[in-house]
Amino acid sequence: MSQAPQEREHSASSGRLGYGGVFLLLALVTALEVWLGSVGVLRSVRTAFFLVLSLFKAGMVAAYYMHLRTDSRLYAYILVAPAILLFVFSIIAAVP
Amino acid sequence: MTTHSVEHSDEFRAGRELGLNHVKLGMWLFLASEVMFFGGLISSFLHYKLNNPSLESGLLDVLLVGGNTFVLLTSSYTVVMALAAARTGNTAGLVRNLLLTAVLGAAFLAGQGYEFASLIREGMTPTSSVFGSSFFTLTGFHGLHVLVGLLWALRNLAKALRGGFGEGRALGVEIFGLYWHFVDIVWIVLFTVIYLI
Amino acid sequence: MTSSQTPASSTFQTLRRYISWNTDHKVIGIQYLVTTFTFFLIGGALAMVMRTELSQPGVDLLNGAEYNRFMTNHGSVMLFLWIIPVFSGFANFMLPIMIGAKDMAFPRLNAASFWLIPPAGVIMLTSFFVGAADAGWTAYVPLSIQSADGQSLWAVSVILLGTSSIMGAINFVTTTVTMRAPGITIWRLPLFVWAMMATALLVIMATPVLTAGLVLVALDRLAGTLFFSVEAGGNPILWQNIFWFYSHPAVYIMVLPGMGIVSEIFPVFSRKPIFGYKMIALSSMAISVLGLTVWAHHMFTSGLDPRLRVPYMITSMVIAVPTGVKIFSWLATIWDGKIRLQTPMLFALGFISMFLIGGITGIFLASIPIDIHVHDTYFVVAHLHFVLFGGAVSAVYAGLYYWFPKITGRMYDENLGKLHFLMNFLGTNLSYLPMFLAGLLGMPRRVADYAPEFQPLNLLATMGAALLASSTLPFLYNAIVSWAKGPRASANPWQGLTLEWSVSSPPPPHNFEHTPAVEYGPYDYGQPRQLEQPASAAAD
Repeated sequence: MSQAPQEREHSASSGRLGYGGVFLLLALVTALEVWLGSVGVLRSVRTAFFLVLSLFKAGMVAAYYMHLRTDSRLYAYILVAPAILLFVFSIIAAVP
Repeated sequence: MTTHSVEHSDEFRAGRELGLNHVKLGMWLFLASEVMFFGGLISSFLHYKLNNPSLESGLLDVLLVGGNTFVLLTSSYTVVMALAAARTGNTAGLVRNLLLTAVLGAAFLAGQGYEFASLIREGMTPTSSVFGSSFFTLTGFHGLHVLVGLLWALRNLAKALRGGFGEGRALGVEIFGLYWHFVDIVWIVLFTVIYLI
Repeated sequence: MTSSQTPASSTFQTLRRYISWNTDHKVIGIQYLVTTFTFFLIGGALAMVMRTELSQPGVDLLNGAEYNRFMTNHGSVMLFLWIIPVFSGFANFMLPIMIGAKDMAFPRLNAASFWLIPPAGVIMLTSFFVGAADAGWTAYVPLSIQSADGQSLWAVSVILLGTSSIMGAINFVTTTVTMRAPGITIWRLPLFVWAMMATALLVIMATPVLTAGLVLVALDRLAGTLFFSVEAGGNPILWQNIFWFYSHPAVYIMVLPGMGIVSEIFPVFSRKPIFGYKMIALSSMAISVLGLTVWAHHMFTSGLDPRLRVPYMITSMVIAVPTGVKIFSWLATIWDGKIRLQTPMLFALGFISMFLIGGITGIFLASIPIDIHVHDTYFVVAHLHFVLFGGAVSAVYAGLYYWFPKITGRMYDENLGKLHFLMNFLGTNLSYLPMFLAGLLGMPRRVADYAPEFQPLNLLATMGAALLASSTLPFLYNAIVSWAKGPRASANPWQGLTLEWSVSSPPPPHNFEHTPAVEYGPYDYGQPRQLEQPASAAAD
C-alpha cells in the first residue's frame, strides 16, 4: 500500500539521476570530504565547505532515497522543521 | 451535527486524499523526534568541541571512518534497491539487497568497534575527558540505532523469504527504509561534525 | 456491553478490563485518567507534608534534606505523572470520536504509551527507599550528579514518561490528519483537537532534547562520563539550556489542552457559537511555536551573557498576545449568552480568572529587572501554582465533569460538584495569593525553614492547602458513587454539537455504527437547519 505511483517503480527513481546515480554522487562527495579533511586548507573555509557538502549529501538521501521529492510535502516539513530548530538550538547552546 | 452517514468505509480515507499513508506519517513524526534527540547530543558535543578543545581529537582517524561512511552510504543504496525490488514483486532482488544491507550494516558496526578499541588503547575513553564522553556517547547512540536497524533488516529478510512482501505489499520495506536512511543522514551529520570540522 | 451493566460478576469483568492490556482508545483513556489522578493525589499528599512543615518556621517534621526529597518528588510527580499525561487521557477518549473515527491510528502503540506510566511512577516513588531524588524537578547539575541513587531512578522514570508522551503525540497527530470523517475539514475541527495538535507539536520537538540531557546525566552518574563534571570542564549552563529547552514548552504542553477543554465548554454552556474560532485555533499554534523560543527566561540569573537575555524577555512577553486573544475570545463567547452555571462551566470560569492571575504575573517575571529580584522566591511558586493548579487543574476538573456522563454513562451529583468547586476555588486563592507577597518580601523557595516574619503568610497558605486537600473528598465521593450508581445519562445532556454527543453514553465499541458525514461546524448554535436525531440518543 505504498504511495508512489506505479510508473516510477520501473526506472530506478524519478528524475535524470537513478538511485545508482545518486549513490555515485554521494560516494564522490564523501571522497572529496575525506580529501579536504586531510589537506591543510584554512579552517574556516574548510568548515563552510563541509557544512555545505554534508547538507547536500543529506538532502540527496532525503530527496531521492526517502522519496521526499515525490511524496507529500508534509513529510518534508516534518523533517526540516526540527532540523532548523536543532540548528538554532546548537548555536545558542554552544555559547560558553 | 451529522446529516447522513456514509457506508462503513476505509478509516484512513482523509489521509489518502491528502496523499498520506498513516504508517509513513507516523514514521516521519518519529524521525522528527529522533532529529531532536540526536540534536540534544550533537549540541552537547558541539558545545564542548568549541569551548573545551581537546588534543584527543587528533587521535581520530578520518580515513578509516571515511571508509566506514562509504559503507553506510552503500547500505542506503542497497536498501532503496530492496524497495524497488519489493515493489515489482522481485523477491530474489529483495532478499539479495536486504542481505547486503545487513552485511554492510554489520561491517559498519565492526568498523566502529575497531575504531573504539583503538581509541581506548590510546587512552581516550568515555571517562577520560569531556571530549571522550561526548564522542563515545554520540557515536555510541548512533551505533545503537544502526544495531536496531540491522535487527529490523534481518526480520524483514526473514519475512521476505517467507513471501511476506510483494507488489503492492511493500510498505514494511519502505518504512524500514525511511528509518535506515535517516540513520545514514544522522551519520552524515556526525561524520562532518566530529571528524571533519 | 457497556460499563453500566450491573450484576457483580460483570462489574468485576469490567474492572479487569481496565487493568489489562487493551487497545480500545476509550479503555486506554480511562486508564490514563484514573492512573494520573491517583498520582495527583500522591503529589498532593507530598505537598501536604511540605505545607505542614512550612506552617511554622524551624525544622519540625522534615529536615532540610528530607524536605528537598519531598519537594523534588512533589514537583516531579505532579508534572510528569499527572498534569502532562492526564490530557492524553482526555485526548485518547475524545479525539477519535470528535473526528468521527473508530479508534486511534496506532491502537497498540497507544496501549504501550499508557503502560509505560505505571512502572515509571513506581520507579520514581520507590526511589524513596534508596535515597530519593532531591535536586528539584529541575535537577540542576552538578548537584544532581552527586545526589543519592534515587536521582538515577528519577532520570530513568522521566525518560520513560517522555517516551510515552512522544508516542502519544505521534498517535494524536497521525489520527487527526489521516482519520477524519468526511466533512471534518481543518476548520471544523473542535478546538480541543486543535489544542492537542499544538501540544503534540511541542511534545515531538522538545521532549527528545530532555531525553538526551537525562541520558547525559544518567551516564555521568552511572558510567562515570564527565559531561557535567566541573573539574573536567563540564558546563552546568549546558544542562540548563537542554533542560529548559524542553521544560518551558512543557508548561504549554500542560496548559494548551486545558485551554482546548474550556474552549469546548464555553459555547455549550452559553449556548452560543464560539467567538473567534480561527483566532483561537491559530493562537494555539502560535503559542506552541513561540513557546520554543522563550526558554532562557528561566536562566536570567544563571550567569548567562547579559546580552543574550533581552531576546528572551521580548519573546516571553510576546507570547502573552495569543494567550490574550484566547481570553478575550472566551469572554466574547459567553457575553450575552444563555449561561448555565453548572459545574463544568464554573471550573471553566475559574480557569480564566486563575490563569489570568498566573499569566499576568508571568509577564512580570519575563521582565529581567523584576525577575532578578524575585527569581527563586515564593513569587515564582505562586505564579506557577496559579497557572498550573488554578489554571490547568481547573481545566482538568472542568473536563472531568463535562465528559463524566459521556465516559461513564452516568450523571454526577451537581450539588457536590458545586461544593467541590467552591472549596477548590477558595483553597486555591488562600494557598497561593499569600505566596506572591512572601516572595516579594524576600522569602526564598525550596527551603524547609524561613525567617519568622514570613510565618503568617505561610500559615494562610497551609490553611489553603488543607482546604484544597479536603476539596478532593466531595469530588472523589461524587465520582465513585455516581459512576457506580448515579442516574443514567443520555447521549447529550449538555446539548453539545461536537460528535461525541451524537453517540450513546458511554459510546458503543467502535464509536459509530457508520462513519458520520458532517456538514456543520462544531459550535454552530442558532444556525437555522434541521438536525437529525442520532438513533441512540434519548430525546433531550
